[in-house]
Amino acid sequence: MNRVFLISFAACVLFGSRCSAHVGSPDVFYEGYAGPYRIFVTVRTPPMIPGIAQIEVRALDGNVTDIRIVPLRAVGEGSEYAPPSDRMERSQVDAQYFTGKLWLMASGAWQVRMEVFGTQGKGESAVPVPAAARRTLRMQKSTGTLLIALMLLLVTSMIAILGAAARESQLEPGTATSAPQRRRGRIAMAVTAVALVVILFLGNMWWNAAASGRADIMMYKAPPVEASLQNTNTLVLKMGFSSWHDRRKQMLLDKIIPDHGHLMHLFLLGLPDLDRFYHLHPDQVASDTFTERLPAVTAGNYAVFADIVRESGFPDTMTARMSLPDVPGNPPIGDDSATTVAYLSDGKGLGTVLTLPDHSHWEWIIEGQTIHARQPALLRFRVFDKDGKPASDLEPYMGMAGHLVIVKHDLTVFAHVHPSGSMPMAALMLLEKQNNSGISAMTAMPGMHETARPAEVTFPYGFPEPGGYRLFVQIKKNGQVQTGAFDAHVEP
Amino acid sequence: MAHTAPYPVSATSQSGALARVAVIPWYVWCAAIAVTSTTVGLYWDISWHTSIGRDTFWTPAHLCIHFGAILAGLSSTYLILTTTFGKNRAKKEFSVRIWGFYGPLGTFVALWGGLTMLTSAPFDDWWHNAFGLDVQILSPPHVVLILGIFILGLGGLFLIIAEMNRANTETRSILNRIFLHVGCMLTILLLMLISEYTGYTQSHSAIYYRALALAMPLVLVGIARASGYKWAATKVAAIYSVLWLLALWLVPLVPAEPKLGPVYTRVTHLVPMEFPLLLFAGAAALDFLLDRMAGRNKWLQAAVGGAGFLLAMIAVQWPMGRFLISPLAENRIFGTNYYPYMQPPSDYHFNHQFNFYERSRAQFWVGMIIAFAAAFVMTRIGLAWGDWMRRVKR
Repeated sequence: MNRVFLISFAACVLFGSRCSAHVGSPDVFYEGYAGPYRIFVTVRTPPMIPGIAQIEVRALDGNVTDIRIVPLRAVGEGSEYAPPSDRMERSQVDAQYFTGKLWLMASGAWQVRMEVFGTQGKGESAVPVPAAARRTLRMQKSTGTLLIALMLLLVTSMIAILGAAARESQLEPGTATSAPQRRRGRIAMAVTAVALVVILFLGNMWWNAAASGRADIMMYKAPPVEASLQNTNTLVLKMGFSSWHDRRKQMLLDKIIPDHGHLMHLFLLGLPDLDRFYHLHPDQVASDTFTERLPAVTAGNYAVFADIVRESGFPDTMTARMSLPDVPGNPPIGDDSATTVAYLSDGKGLGTVLTLPDHSHWEWIIEGQTIHARQPALLRFRVFDKDGKPASDLEPYMGMAGHLVIVKHDLTVFAHVHPSGSMPMAALMLLEKQNNSGISAMTAMPGMHETARPAEVTFPYGFPEPGGYRLFVQIKKNGQVQTGAFDAHVEP
Repeated sequence: MAHTAPYPVSATSQSGALARVAVIPWYVWCAAIAVTSTTVGLYWDISWHTSIGRDTFWTPAHLCIHFGAILAGLSSTYLILTTTFGKNRAKKEFSVRIWGFYGPLGTFVALWGGLTMLTSAPFDDWWHNAFGLDVQILSPPHVVLILGIFILGLGGLFLIIAEMNRANTETRSILNRIFLHVGCMLTILLLMLISEYTGYTQSHSAIYYRALALAMPLVLVGIARASGYKWAATKVAAIYSVLWLLALWLVPLVPAEPKLGPVYTRVTHLVPMEFPLLLFAGAAALDFLLDRMAGRNKWLQAAVGGAGFLLAMIAVQWPMGRFLISPLAENRIFGTNYYPYMQPPSDYHFNHQFNFYERSRAQFWVGMIIAFAAAFVMTRIGLAWGDWMRRVKR
């Protein structure tokens, strides 16, 4: 008889997933090619949908003179016809920096298609952008004061108008008002005042209901997931649909598609110090259930982050927390990986250089610069062999030069980034297929080559908010997945 | 001849066309133009949103709406200030007094409407930032805007009716035409307001008739009653039908393309609103029944008139709805072949089948009973409102 060993616990205590695909990291960062031009694209998604996305493009190679952008659905209906494209504004200070904005009118999977013009002709590119409302805006005090003042004016003037209407509007011209008419006016004013109070009360109720209903319909909610341990070492994830997803099944195309070879990327992070890191790939055993035979896991509390991508290219990150006992198991195999950070640290916190057990070492090339929130940057990591020479034996890990997982210490931010950017590779592949560019998106993207990689891996990213972050960098070297951890402090 | 012209008219302009123009005060024209501009702007704005999508404060449709508000606001303010502080004491005799200011009642009402429209602007702006660019007509800030527009129109009506009630027969006839035109604009405004519930695909649902009963008898009866002319409601409905049909047939001639994604349907011209309601049937029933029952108890008039209106509307819209969902209506005449740019082709079939709002037969009948009750109550209010307007002199 199967013994149910420890089940969930505060499993599924969702910690407020604040955005799709990642948690608390809504902006999209992309590095890739538009024809001959290498570009770094930042898409700052609007907090509310419909809303305006801010687009920033920096040309990294080549002389770019003009860029045009247009938003379309990523796949299916709505991806066929494009509205007229918008011309991006070229910076007066930096001629290779362009800015623009686009309306995202509905939630779901979008693409920002761009035409890049320059001295080497025209190039095209498309960046997947998941759009989902994250927050509503509180009314500013000044706006509220103005509206209240106007409301008072309108209410009192309406009372006066209806009083005058009852009192004297039907008098023959030139006739003075009589006492009964003045009394009628006063009664009308009193009745109007009462009626307006009732109307305002009902209006306020309607406003609150409409605002709450609108927020409920629009605000993104991650799908719920229940995590439990069964049969000693089998992690079971049972996922559901949030009301947000339920309303958008047709648009999202809820079937899950593989993202670089796996339907789900599952991350277990040891709490509270983020000192244990597991990157696993559970199998789908039912439409809503994934299971994973765990490698050996140390007892403790864990944060669970589960990344999936829908058929439309829309990603979701489901979150939960769970407590695990000591789980017996084998070392991770295949694409699975596990690491503990303790041996990497000398007790002084994680720096920008680390040494691995095989005596190779990694360096985060940050060159003493301060990291600021919302500032897009290429995060560069260089790998050296034990002789101190740039490593020459890096291999693709799940088709990528590297993977980067970024977690804020308070767990309010989680991002899974690749050398081509913060969007899922599956979404990029969909666009490549959709746009029929004739160029393989995989080979056009940084870090997607199947051949040996240079010793440096870069990730385009911008930290969403100030605070302390831990970065888990993963590469494959000499047949082994290696994970390095770094700490970053992000300034406002 | 019971009434005099509001202002002295020179001897040379006492006859002929010049006289007709001279006796219609400038602010009546301003009111009529303001209401028309705003109504046209609102129709244009709805069409803009379904064809082009992207909008700013400066779209022609918005400018049309705001022009109406500004014209009504400025003309009302000017009239109030000149009446209050001017030397022409005669003007004050046609005025009501509010907070020490003098002016015709309609100017204060129109000014209130314009101010309400202005109030909706920061409200709407905040709403868009907080909850996104809305795609619904009946959001709270839109209702404030529409309330403002409607009150502005009412101000126009009051201005004109006060002139009518003081005018001689010939002037009254001209003013009546303007009055019916403004009344028609108000009717159109109301029909746009309730259009989310009066689409032809909903014409076999009780909600359709509830919305009609709540909105139409009030305005049709009120205007007809105040006008005092025979078949006034039918004329209003006829003007609406002609204007709406012209819009249906002419608006698609204006080139347009969507400027917002996602574009689900390729659109090359402005998309018009749906085929007009056959409102003249209900309006004619109201005119006929209320005329036949003139002098009878008002509540009885309301019961018979309201029921007659609704029965006439059901009699025409029920089969018309069936026709409009059929392939026979998919042409430029009946306009069911137009789709907004944001409607996916996979949803086209919804335009050619009934959308049953009520989930059960019982709900439908309860809804219809509510519709008849609403028609009765609103007809009664319309009678009272119309009778009140007939007595407005200032």
